[in-house]
Amino acid sequence: MIRSTLFGIACLAATSAVAGAISDTPKFDVHKSIVRITTTAQDPDYRVPWNPGSISTGIGAGFVIDGNRILTNAHVVSNGRFISVQRENDPRQYSGQVKFIAHDCDLAIVTVSDPNFFKTMQPLHFGPLPTIQSDVDVYGYPIGGERLSVTQGIVSRIDFESYSHSGADSHLAVQIDAAINPGNSGGPVLQNGKVVGIAFQGYSGDVAQNVGFMIPTPVIQRFLADIESGHYNRYVDLSIVPESLTNAAARRALGLPDDDTGVLVSSIESDACAAGKLEPGDVLLSIDGHRIISDQTVELDGENVDLAEVIERKLKGDKVKIDLLRNHQPLSVEIELEPNNSYLIQANIFDEYPRFVMFGGLVFQPLSKNLLEAFQIEDLRVRYFYNNFINDEIFRDHPQVILLSNILPDRVNAYLSEFRYQIVDEINGHKIRTLADVASAFDETSDFYTIKFVGASRPAVLQRTAVEEAKERIKDNYGVRVERNLGEETLR
Amino acid sequence: MRFLAFCQVSFFFATSAIAAENPSPSPAGTPAVETRPSAAPKEHLATELKGGSVLRVNSTNQSYDFFRPWSKKAPSNRRGLGAVIDGGEVLVTAELVWDSNFIELEKPDTGERATAKVAVVDYETNLALLKPNNPDFLKDLQPLDTSVAPKVGDHLSVVQLESNGTPVSTEALLTSAEVGHYVLDDYSYLLFKMSCPLQYRDNSFTLPIVQDHHLISMLLRYDPRSQTIEAISTPVIQHFLKEADHQPYQGFPSFGLSFSTTRDPQFRHYEKLSDSEGGIYVDDVEPDSPAAQADIQTGDILLSIGGKSVDPDGDYDDAQYGRVSITHFITTLSYSGQKVPVTLLRHGERKDAVVSLFHKPPQDYVIDPYVIGRAPRYLILGGLVFEELSRQYLREWGPSWQREAPQRFVYFDHYQADLFPKERKIVFLSQILPNNDTIGYPQLNYMAVERVNGQPIYRLEDLAKAMEKPVNGFHKIEFDLDPKVMYLDATKVQENAAALQKTYSLPAMRRF
Repeated sequence: MIRSTLFGIACLAATSAVAGAISDTPKFDVHKSIVRITTTAQDPDYRVPWNPGSISTGIGAGFVIDGNRILTNAHVVSNGRFISVQRENDPRQYSGQVKFIAHDCDLAIVTVSDPNFFKTMQPLHFGPLPTIQSDVDVYGYPIGGERLSVTQGIVSRIDFESYSHSGADSHLAVQIDAAINPGNSGGPVLQNGKVVGIAFQGYSGDVAQNVGFMIPTPVIQRFLADIESGHYNRYVDLSIVPESLTNAAARRALGLPDDDTGVLVSSIESDACAAGKLEPGDVLLSIDGHRIISDQTVELDGENVDLAEVIERKLKGDKVKIDLLRNHQPLSVEIELEPNNSYLIQANIFDEYPRFVMFGGLVFQPLSKNLLEAFQIEDLRVRYFYNNFINDEIFRDHPQVILLSNILPDRVNAYLSEFRYQIVDEINGHKIRTLADVASAFDETSDFYTIKFVGASRPAVLQRTAVEEAKERIKDNYGVRVERNLGEETLR
Repeated sequence: MRFLAFCQVSFFFATSAIAAENPSPSPAGTPAVETRPSAAPKEHLATELKGGSVLRVNSTNQSYDFFRPWSKKAPSNRRGLGAVIDGGEVLVTAELVWDSNFIELEKPDTGERATAKVAVVDYETNLALLKPNNPDFLKDLQPLDTSVAPKVGDHLSVVQLESNGTPVSTEALLTSAEVGHYVLDDYSYLLFKMSCPLQYRDNSFTLPIVQDHHLISMLLRYDPRSQTIEAISTPVIQHFLKEADHQPYQGFPSFGLSFSTTRDPQFRHYEKLSDSEGGIYVDDVEPDSPAAQADIQTGDILLSIGGKSVDPDGDYDDAQYGRVSITHFITTLSYSGQKVPVTLLRHGERKDAVVSLFHKPPQDYVIDPYVIGRAPRYLILGGLVFEELSRQYLREWGPSWQREAPQRFVYFDHYQADLFPKERKIVFLSQILPNNDTIGYPQLNYMAVERVNGQPIYRLEDLAKAMEKPVNGFHKIEFDLDPKVMYLDATKVQENAAALQKTYSLPAMRRF
């Protein structure tokens, strides 16, 4: 099965796959650089979190870069249990290992332990951000055949784009008019013999024709720089909401000259790196010496780009200098940048087994995108907590939003079905902030376990004797392998 | 366990309310053997109504457009049947005359017409009394008696008119009486369910249901697939008519609390409830409600209400209809102004309380559960349109408004008692009418206003007052969501107001 679901914004059906200009003989000899990656993945089912998950196989591309490394997309190898790497014109398959994986920018480094593998391979080198309307060649293994395929396209647009692998991140992306299909993922996009991008997502033929996206070199190079520390630290973020200052009355009310400069800080996430450094109402004038234009852009390399691009290129621990006006007084602040954590609730989770605690047939899980989608939860409060997690700072009381996600029916919980999808507030008087709190509350010995939910005064009550009596019965009936996973079991 | 409420507005009831609107279809592929033979409908000429006890009612209705609160939507016509009752009045469903501009009564046999007005209306129970402008119009008609209530299993007659005016009645079997959703979300009363093969006639399903010469019920909904009727029950009609005699009309009372059941044996052990006692668990008490005034508290177990013992499901033994939710006793068998004794358990101790009943009108809620027969309030400042949040506004998103409408507002509405304990309204920006003063602002909407010119905003009047005191020549408007702050030039806004009003043809810049 082609892991088309992981392919991009939406996957293309196999029948509509062949598109664009396909030539059988690549103009540039990339045979010595490109590899075909076959991943056998096990995708956990959040509805049965104790199960190992369903097995599927997918094909993608990758290419060799300096240091005997293979660069590919994160979504080509995520949740992988076995990765096989093949060279062009070599019948052997080599076992690959994921060395680094960045789900926020959909990139991964794979290595092959067999020392002979890289001997005849030639690393590719990186070029600049391509210019609009220039030609590019896309290499990969899209559906339609087994062998390497090349399509040509031109650069249509360069802009911030949502990266669908995580579902919660946006970075610079380049839109090209070559069709990018399942199997292209991870393949290099070349211009003048240099890599200018990695093909990674596209639209289904129903949505838009001839629209493919590649990850451009600034994003790739940032990833390579990030992992030099030996660990992938993720993107950093100021975690503020800036607002444009393009309304004349707003400018005058704030005492600003009519010079199209400055943006207003609307909100600041209180647990992020800008807290205590910036304040709501601050007018940001420049960032690292770049003038901030009132529509939230800065000029970088001769182009007007989103103000966030300055931060995008930085790494964890890097500093950014911001000049601002606070109460009409000029001020300069330096902020040490950190990754944001709270937005991860809305990002897809990979490479870990679902976390849960099962007690008396009640299954408790932290709210996540995976959980919401697995159960198709419509509950108003759950959706509100999910969507307003940052805006309403729900993370303060609920760093993890713990749901009673499922009830395995048994006589011990026969009257509790109405509590499903409620958010746990307290167990036996202990405030529940994380899944670990749930586990430790149930580990205490008590005649009754009373579970209080957010916004509901009547608790769910379980009697210890009834839970103990039901324990083995429920495990047997429902094939529950383990009764909890607090996150110790990770795959990488 | 289930969540129900005594009170008019239950914040736990939304899901079941939806279910009631869409009766579940019979499973696909069920063989036809299962269904009742639907041969010839048991129809006959409604001879019992020979004297003329039903009238055709034509109403032209025009509701306000809550997206453009300064104007009304296109008028529409509704047609139904009304029942003539004692006192020269005609009983209809309130739905028929919602936001009506013009009402006309028509005698089915002669076609004679007369205009009428609404004398009393109760949107919550969906009942209205019409009075012809000419009192002699009903003189020769025979009023229907309303003093008899049927029993489950009785055969009743649904009255319809042929287009030529001949009354036709179809036999209906009263299959159950239970508390259920009426028309407005969260308003539930005793509901009659009947099975009846009804034909669609004369463009209307707003129909009276009779037994001999007694008016029994008014049809609320008919599901042609399952051939079932849901109808307003006799006790509700009787309560409405009795209360309509005393002006001003008070409305159906409530306790103002929500409860959950206590069937779960582990919960009963925990609460130390004996197996022989019933009782319901008080989940939430609305501030200032009759229950709150009687010092009923969250966590109390109510054992008996008005001398009726309440079982763990919240039902009591009704003389006429058997096991029925205690909600029926409180809202319908009791009246506003009455005192109802209650026995309860608090921390294992038995206590007595007396609840003085009253009705909570929609405008007393933070977010009005409905705005019917009233104009929406709004205020326009520099092209920014401000309104007060109501469920009527949210309903503009259509039947699935709970999914379609701005989720933050749906959440506010659903949990209003928890989120906004104090008396107030939610003033929000509903849209921006683009003009010179708003150039450079994005198209913003659905943001709640927190402060204007430093003053907290709890209702539109606060906004009007705060507008009079701009700070340094600017209006500073603060919202709950990003961009959190907007500025308008107070002088320019004033100067441009007339032009704005003209450009968008606004009849007025505010309505309170």
